[in-house]
Parts: sequence; structure tokens; C-alpha cells
Amino acid sequence: MASGATLASKSALPGAGGIKAVSTGSSGRAAADADPNQPLLDVRGVTIQYKTQRHLVTATYRVGFNVLQGDRFVVLGPSGCGKSTLLKAVGGYLQPTEGEIRLKGELIKKPGPDRIMVFQEFDQLLPWKTVLENVAFPLKTTGTLHAKAAQERAMDYIKMVNLSKFAHSYPHTLSGGMKQRVAIARAMAMEPDILLMDEPFAALDALTRVRMQDELLALWDEIRFTVLFVTHSIPEAIKIGSRILLLSPHPGQVKAEINSVPRGQENSNEAAALGREIHEMLFADQIEEAPNA
Amino acid sequence: MLEAMQRANIYSETLGPEQFGIIQKPLTLPEKIYNQSWLRKIAILVVLAAAWEIYGRWLDNPLLVPPFSEAMRALVEDVSNGTIPSRALSSIQVLLIGFTTGTLLAGLLTVFAISTRIGTDFLETMTAMFNPLPAIALLPLALIWFGLGAGSLVFVLVHSVMWAVALNTLAGFRSVSMTVRMVGRNYNLNGLRFVGKILIPAAFPSILAGLKIGWAFAWRTLIAAELIFGVSSGQGGLGWYIFESKNQLNIPEVFAGLLTIILIGLAVENVVFRFVETRTVQRWGMQS
Repeated sequence: MASGATLASKSALPGAGGIKAVSTGSSGRAAADADPNQPLLDVRGVTIQYKTQRHLVTATYRVGFNVLQGDRFVVLGPSGCGKSTLLKAVGGYLQPTEGEIRLKGELIKKPGPDRIMVFQEFDQLLPWKTVLENVAFPLKTTGTLHAKAAQERAMDYIKMVNLSKFAHSYPHTLSGGMKQRVAIARAMAMEPDILLMDEPFAALDALTRVRMQDELLALWDEIRFTVLFVTHSIPEAIKIGSRILLLSPHPGQVKAEINSVPRGQENSNEAAALGREIHEMLFADQIEEAPNA
Repeated sequence: MLEAMQRANIYSETLGPEQFGIIQKPLTLPEKIYNQSWLRKIAILVVLAAAWEIYGRWLDNPLLVPPFSEAMRALVEDVSNGTIPSRALSSIQVLLIGFTTGTLLAGLLTVFAISTRIGTDFLETMTAMFNPLPAIALLPLALIWFGLGAGSLVFVLVHSVMWAVALNTLAGFRSVSMTVRMVGRNYNLNGLRFVGKILIPAAFPSILAGLKIGWAFAWRTLIAAELIFGVSSGQGGLGWYIFESKNQLNIPEVFAGLLTIILIGLAVENVVFRFVETRTVQRWGMQS
């Protein structure tokens, strides 16, 4: 694979990106946060390696970034950049081999209900439970709320994703888009510190995807949750994200951390320019890699 | 040449509905009746019963093949005088004890198997060893260990149920998708709560299939075991009823016993398990 020299030369980037995030991000949101200097999620020099049957794979190399309260933080990169692996590490399903991930200053050691994942797969809903039971399930099992209160809160969030009519339907009777909406409602009903979304709209058809993106943004306007959103789609990143982390593939390293265009301007010229800029960065990387491969 | 072929648009006049004699006509009654599969199956049974009746009468040897009417007479008589129901009840009692114990042990074994690697190896080795061994082959040993009585029957029943259920449950647990597992762990579920709230419902189609196989094994094993010794605490089961009737040359009663076994087997498989299936895996859209 890539030589040690290349890895070392690029390792300067993540640190720089991290510092930039704090300095630019904190100025705008200082009022909302109790301690503006402490990021909600602090990812520092994270290298993740995992073993397959034959290889030891380095998925990410010294990735660092900060997510602040209310951020729509998008991790963008081509397939193989370790973005999903990174999200799983934030979720606590994987331990980084190097570096650390802190949520509100606490080191992340295992999965927990303060970080709820929304997956790409439609089978993330429990098929033996109705929509309402699915949304209420985490509230009850984690002891967040008692049966009655859990039902009520679940119903509120089901209403928010416009599925009240289907509250008592089983997941297999729903369309893909509806299933993802239930999953989002289930995650948000837990009111976690941070929502982790792993390409939640990637398996949907193009029209549904656009509608779901709009709905997610409308929900954000209402609740102002913090989300860490993984995608490989540049337009989706520009539309969803307030800040975008660009990862290069094999292994994933921070290429850039940039601000997206303001909310609602995803069709503007600036957005198009940003899209081209991102595209060039990803494209440049491919040319760089080609002779090695 | 090809581009030279210019085809004109074609428009045609369609006839109005009043021009047709038949557009939609209900099927005739005989056609409707013939479309019902259960009616066709009943017809087959009637034909078979008639053939049996004719052959029995023609043979005129009730010790070999009594006619169908004789067997039915024996069945009705022994059902109404309470012999068959009490025999069936004693069979079913032993069966339920064996089936429940076997299922519980299978559950324990599977939980052990998914929590440790050595447990998996243990279960795999044991199932590989005991699955090909018909439970009834253990009866002689069971008789030595537990004596004549319900103990021996329960032992072979447990053996016939446990491995099938454990094997299917383990396969079911393993096929639970990574996503569902991660969802469960996201909610801080682990250990037995994870098994109970995530794995068992998610693997329910496989578990149910295992229970059906286990039931079928157990029912056949029980009847076979009863045929060999049968009497437990003075009251034999259906197998023993058949064996006894044969010894007393009451051949119609033998057939009545066989019919009862078929009926009970059908009832459990098509009513009890069917009911559970429609309430669970079918409603959840998980039927595999």
C-alpha cells in the first residue's frame, strides 16, 4: 500500500483542520453553548485498523475534527475512505487503534443511547414491532421513560415525520422512505446528544431522497439537533451539511474541513462552485493514486 | 435498406361493450366447487376410503384388513367410551413434558453457544453426533437408567427435540443481521436482555421451524417408544393402545389408533403451529 513517507507527510493536515474547526465554529454559536470552547464531539488523531481474514486494513489514518452543538457535520468521501468505519467508532462499535474520541469530554468506550445511529439498511427497524412500538422501544429499554410517557413521546415524533396514520402498521408494510423516516423518528425520540447517520438515504430512489433531505432539514429547523452525517454524494453533503469533512480514500485521511453554503442555497452558484471545488479535491486524489495502483 | 422502411401509424376502431355477448361471466357452480382445493382433497379421501371398504369386504378377512366401516366403528366406539381420549391424553402429557424440557434445554445450550466460542463448538459437535442418531435407539439405555415409566419416555423425547431445536435456534441467531444487532447494542442491551429482546424475536422464524421439526420428531418417537413398552404408571398411551389391540387381535382398533395419531399430528401441525405462525412471523412479514 501507500508508503510510510506519504502517510507522515499528510498527517499534518488533520491537526490543522481540527484547530480551524474550533476557531471558526465557536464564534457563531457561543451563545447557545454553555462552554463554547468544548466541542460536543472531539475526534483526535484517530487511526482505525481492523482485521479481515487475510489483511490488516487501515481504514482511517489520524483523522481529527470537532463537532459543535447544533452542527450538521457531514463526513464526505469516496467509498473506501473509512467514513462508515469512523462513524462506527464514534458509535462505540469499534475502538480506534490510535487517538481518542470524546463526547462531552467523556471517552467513548462502547455503544450507548447518547449516540443513536441511523443506518442505511431498511432492516434497522425491528420487524416484530409496529411503528409506534419501534419508536417507543429504545425509550423503554433504556429506562428513559415509562411505558405511557414513552408512547406519548413516540407518537409526537411519529407525527413529526408525518407517519401518524401508520403508527400501528408493521414495518414490512411500509415503503423504503417511510422506513427511514421511522428510523429517524426513533433516533430523535431518544433526544441523543448526537445523531449518527450512515448514508441513511443512499438506498432510496432519487425523488424520495430529495424529499427526505428536505424533511430532515425541516426537522433540524424545528429541533436543532446535532448530527454527524456520512455520505458519498457531494450534492447531499452541500445540501445537508453546515460543515463538511472531506476524506481521501485508502486509508481515510482528512483532505479538508470546509463550511458549506448557507441553509437553503444549495441551488445557488456558490453551491455549484463549492461542488466543483470538492469534486476537484476528490478527483486530484484519484490522479495522485493512479500511478501507485 | 432498413432506414427506407417507413411505417405508417396505425389506428383501429374498437367495438363497444354492447357488441360482446360475454365480457365477464360468473363461473358455473361445478367449476367453482372444483376450484376449492380442500374439496378436491376430501374427494380423494372419499375415493380412498371407498377403495379400502371394497377391498376389505372382498378380502373378507378382518384380521388382515378390516373394512373402513369397521375401523370407523371402532374409532367412534372407543372415542365415545373414553378409551382413546384417555390414551391420547396420557401420550400428550408425556409429550408436553418432554417437548418443554427439550426446548428449554435447547435454549440454554444455544445461549451458552452464542456467548462463548467453546459453547459453539460444543453444540456443533453434539448436534453433529446426535442428530443422525434416532432418539428411539437410546430407548434400551433409557430403560436401564430410568426404568419402565415416564422417565425413560421423557429422556428419549428430550433427546429427539433438543438437537433439532438447538440447531435451528443457533442458525437463526447467527442469521440475525448486523444492523439489527447494532441497533440492539445502541440501546445498551447486552447479555440475556439482548437475547430476549433482539435475538429471539429476530430469529423467530428459524426457532419456529425448529420447534415444528422438534414436535414432529417427538411425536413419532413417542409413538414408537410406546409401541415397545408403553405402560407408564398403569396407563398406556396411543402406541400402547395399538400394541395391545394387536395382541388381542382387535385389528379395527389398531386402525382406529393409527387414525387418531394421524388426526392429532395434523391438528397440531395445521392448527396450533399455523395459529402461532399467522400471529407472529406472518404478521411481521418475516416468513421465510
